[in-house]
Amino acid sequence: MGKPKFYDFCVHAAPDGENTVGEMASLARHFGYSGFALTNHSDKLPKTRPLLPEADGFEVFRGIELVEENPSKLHGMIGKFRSNVDVLIVHGGSEAVNRAAVENPRVDILNHPSFDRSSGLNQVLAKAAAENGVAIGLNLRPLLHSRGSRRIRLLSDLGANLDLARKYDVSLALTSDAMSCFDLRAPREMLALAEVCGLEESEALEALSTVPERILAKNRPGPGIIREGVEVLEEEDFF
Amino acid sequence: MKRLMPSLRAKKRYLPFELISEEPASRSDLVREIMASAASLLGDVTASECDIKVLGFEEGKGIIHCSHIKVKETRAAMAALTRINGKRATLHVLGSSGTVKRATEKFLANYEPFEPKAENVQE
Repeated sequence: MGKPKFYDFCVHAAPDGENTVGEMASLARHFGYSGFALTNHSDKLPKTRPLLPEADGFEVFRGIELVEENPSKLHGMIGKFRSNVDVLIVHGGSEAVNRAAVENPRVDILNHPSFDRSSGLNQVLAKAAAENGVAIGLNLRPLLHSRGSRRIRLLSDLGANLDLARKYDVSLALTSDAMSCFDLRAPREMLALAEVCGLEESEALEALSTVPERILAKNRPGPGIIREGVEVLEEEDFF
Repeated sequence: MKRLMPSLRAKKRYLPFELISEEPASRSDLVREIMASAASLLGDVTASECDIKVLGFEEGKGIIHCSHIKVKETRAAMAALTRINGKRATLHVLGSSGTVKRATEKFLANYEPFEPKAENVQE
């Protein structure tokens, strides 16, 4: 097995975050990532489609984080943006939105689902997430920027979601949710933090490497694939 | 005084790191923030087991040593650092080594601390 490739699938750049895509990309590349997804919140999108920087062995993927309170409008937005982006994240935070997100197989990741006194997931939602292939996002930014009782709350929510995810086999996506250059962390540090927060080594590695690759493979089918289960093979590929 | 044999000394790991920050920080501020971050994230008990010490720090790079069985916890504590003296900062661990010499030669000699510029990637 070669060296794993690391991807950070939730990064915000200007005008949503603070730094430009170029700055974020150059730092992420320096840290050893193979790519990240630019997922600005849907209520703070730039007027024009941003030009994504490219470099050898580093790619910035097009993504979006949908912010919408109304479930039926959310489904509409998913339909509208799905074909344009590689990574589609839903910004959770209420029972209705969480449910809408995990029940829609076109969603890739559900971010910060927790609200009031709940970790945001329960047995029913976790099962639906596993069936529809929706990953649960573990975001580092809130963990880094809080101390004491708030961080304890976040960690206990994370623990509860982790238990559910293990039981129902839901995938987890480890992301930085960076709003500026100073929120990015190198892959090894992300893994160490995740492990201190209760993930196993293999789970953390999967959440930062395998799960993003799987999401990409799902949304960027090869040239011959028409739809799920239907693929045109070249002649020499038959045998 | 006779030196302790290597096999009897406490095992250490040396973590070379770079500091990416809004403003340059002094060694004493850095030490204070790292210890505060470790105590907050890991608790005083585990932080004491990590045996974290900042060996040297100048011009945005330096070396931290920690117990060889607590490298992961130390890395996590370093990653959890977000501010030094109220200014935003990030520690980037460059690697891990069993001796100061190797840590310096392999990771820090000729190493230029990163400047957040967009030059390395073409728009």
